[in-house]
Amino acid sequence: MISTTALWTAGAGLVVMTGMVAYQVYCRYVLNDSPSWTEPGAVMLMSWFIFLGAAVGVRENNHLGFDILLYILPRGGKRVLRMISDLVILTFGLGMIYYGLQLVQLTWNAILPSLGISGAFDYMPVVGGGILVSLFTIERIVLRLAGAPVDEGLELASPEAEVELDAASDITGTKG
Amino acid sequence: MELWILFGTFVTLMLIGTPIAFCLGVASFATVAYMGLPPLVVFQRLNSGMSVFSLLAIPFFIYAGDLMVRGGIASRIVAFAGSLVGHLRGGLGQVNIAASTLFGGISGSAVAEAAAVGGLMIPQMKARGYGVDYAVNVTSMSALIALLLPPSHNMIIYSISAGGKISIADLFTAGIIPGLMLAGALMITAYFVAKSRGYPTEPFPGFQAVAHLAAVAVPGLLLIAIIFGGVRAGIFTATESSCVAVLYALLVTVFVYRQMKWEAFVDATLGAVRTTAMVLLIIGTAAAFSWLMAFLRVPASLVAAMNAVSENPYVILLLMNFLLLGLGTFMDMGPLIIIATPIFLPVAQAYGVDPVHFGVIMILNLGIGLNTPPVGAVQFVACAVGKISVWRAMRSIWPFYGAGLIVLGLITYVPALSLWLPSVFK
Amino acid sequence: QDILLRSSDTHPDGYPTVEAVKYMGELLKERSAGRIAVEVYHSAQLGEEKDTIEQTRAGVIDLNRVSMGPFNGLVPETRVVSLPYIFRSVEHMHKVMDGDIGADILSGFEAHGLVGLAYYDGGARSFYNREKPINSVEDLKGMKFRVMQSDIFVDMVAALGANAVPLPYGEVYSSIETGVIDGAENNFPSYESAKHSEVAKHYSLDEHLIVPEVLVMAKSSWDKLSADDQALVKQAARDSVAKQRELWAAREEASRKMVEDAGSQITTPDKQPFIDAMGPVYEKHVTDDKLKSLVERIRAVQ
Ligand code: NA
Ligand code: NA
Repeated sequence: MISTTALWTAGAGLVVMTGMVAYQVYCRYVLNDSPSWTEPGAVMLMSWFIFLGAAVGVRENNHLGFDILLYILPRGGKRVLRMISDLVILTFGLGMIYYGLQLVQLTWNAILPSLGISGAFDYMPVVGGGILVSLFTIERIVLRLAGAPVDEGLELASPEAEVELDAASDITGTKG
Repeated sequence: MELWILFGTFVTLMLIGTPIAFCLGVASFATVAYMGLPPLVVFQRLNSGMSVFSLLAIPFFIYAGDLMVRGGIASRIVAFAGSLVGHLRGGLGQVNIAASTLFGGISGSAVAEAAAVGGLMIPQMKARGYGVDYAVNVTSMSALIALLLPPSHNMIIYSISAGGKISIADLFTAGIIPGLMLAGALMITAYFVAKSRGYPTEPFPGFQAVAHLAAVAVPGLLLIAIIFGGVRAGIFTATESSCVAVLYALLVTVFVYRQMKWEAFVDATLGAVRTTAMVLLIIGTAAAFSWLMAFLRVPASLVAAMNAVSENPYVILLLMNFLLLGLGTFMDMGPLIIIATPIFLPVAQAYGVDPVHFGVIMILNLGIGLNTPPVGAVQFVACAVGKISVWRAMRSIWPFYGAGLIVLGLITYVPALSLWLPSVFK
Repeated sequence: QDILLRSSDTHPDGYPTVEAVKYMGELLKERSAGRIAVEVYHSAQLGEEKDTIEQTRAGVIDLNRVSMGPFNGLVPETRVVSLPYIFRSVEHMHKVMDGDIGADILSGFEAHGLVGLAYYDGGARSFYNREKPINSVEDLKGMKFRVMQSDIFVDMVAALGANAVPLPYGEVYSSIETGVIDGAENNFPSYESAKHSEVAKHYSLDEHLIVPEVLVMAKSSWDKLSADDQALVKQAARDSVAKQRELWAAREEASRKMVEDAGSQITTPDKQPFIDAMGPVYEKHVTDDKLKSLVERIRAVQ
């Protein structure tokens, strides 16, 4: 639910970003009058959609990794390694929240040029992304402890297993 | 000690299978904490590293690629390529490469290209009795053509990493001959491999059919002219051209081909978000990692070490090619360009190498790294489409690596291959 | 050596500001008998100015050489010196910044975790373009110029009848080359070293912006120093200023000669009509009494 909302919000962000850059080209080339907010605006949207999308990627377990050791190890060993990985990701997610808030505090009184808003807006995506990354990682840890097959995505990519992905269209969404 | 913590944490986490983005981020986090620096700097670099206008080219080109696959542009280009070269030995392999070359001219991303052309070609090749490993290797290697032919978001990243003193328009132009050379080398390789394996050819459909298929593919192919012409004519910047590609792909697929349905649009959008979020998160955490390397003075030591080995520019270039190939094996292209350009470019320039030329060398070199495990996004996509393991593809990829390396060697030591065309446009 | 001060600069090695901070380090080393050293990270190795300002405020790095522009959103006093044509000449700027007004502005940094140490020269910024020589305000009409992300500069360009195009610095070269924009604005050394002179051959010395650069120290690093060491640092920073101004003048001359030799056309338009066009910019940006009085004080300095 949260994950779907995050993904759709990020998708909407990408569409709006497309519109903003197109508007920038249109204004400069056709109207000969450039808006100064489109560039910083598009960049800020991009950092939101990256963090939202990356958090969803954590939940769906499709971040790029080097998982050769995971193939060699027996199932129990894999579980331990995945658990360590999740704790590492959780540490980073919590760091994003804690230090993201420090950055928000540090830049609260600075005003961003062109947008005219507080510099803290630059770092809010870090905090927001951190919250989602932490939530989704805790979810994975809890589900794994409860015995749910949260590491299935991993098995898909193993050398002997058949990859159950049919059209190229599904691929761009899940790998690389 | 700091460096041991930085690299030690990174390698350990990578070995246990932690996603690369978090390996880079947590290794930086641990090192900064050990050094007693305020850890907020890691998260500042994470955010600043990805908050760069020029990086918008990545989501846009990947998005455009997704739309072209789902909206019928890619399939028409493949059909056209098939009519052109299908009658050569190993017909569908040649079609694959020709389609990659055509599609590479409108796509800015090798990953999108492998997914697009591979998704259409690999199933056909399988059905016609081609070895899947052959189909996968032809797909993954010819996807690299997209990196060299304009547009190319990696060239934009390179120019920005070099401090913006390099003309992106020149870089785009400089990649054309090397891109076509790679296409040629792969076609020759595909020919000989096909011959030794006894693969069939396709019948030539006749000039009328070629003309018809060309006409159908024209709306998609026009994007080559729009992007190259638009950037050269100063209508939009190279970064903005990626957004133009999205709009044009939408326009053609919705109004000309009328194939883009709402569901496909949503899928393409969400797919692009998923892919780019992953790539850009790595770029962000790589920015934190490279900030620490700069803070710890790694680039300066590396340059000193390289100068100590030799003063001969040919040896230096060879050395840099080896280093880049090694790094490219273990790291993703985007972050690596950002990390490596400020380190290697000044050295190369000190030995008289033109920055545009060096950019082309670096793009092809790191591109080959996209096809080497353990970190090889393009190869992973091609293997996933072909439903084979990376290890199986690796067994028969060597002739294709050979073709790539020969082209890399030629480009490295014959600067005119890169620099002649831009000088013509000046 | 007991104390290592890390300093950031976005300019490349050998640039006057980079060399001045290195010189300051030599002075400090000598005067502290080797206890205090300075290490300069040039070429934006540690990040762009906005980022390194945050790093300095947070105490990640100790020293930072920055332009005034990125401080405009943080330290309101710095907006005054970033106004177009506020200084009549470089000499005028030196007099103002070396005196009470300069000291007042430096003290404005204190509230944001920074200690202002010294002002360096950044020369005068002027317009350059690929199309034609600029001899009057009329010549600028309808042209597209890249400016820094700052409302003051956007409004200044608009007041001159041209269009401000905010572009990342890294895309300026390509954008002038292909004609996305007609030109940009900067001082001679940047015009030359960023190679913009290759693609925009017409440089017009309107000198709309004469703005000093500033060397700041992290408050947290400052507080860690003994009173004696603080005095040493402050004095070394002051002593580096003369050196920087000397290096700057030489560099400016050298850059000017280089671009002229490479075929750039330099014109010197009458500045008065440009100054007269700035009314709306001052009206919009000099709003509160504090800024108004600063403007008056600066203008009163002869
Ligand atoms: Na391309
Ligand atoms: Na690789």
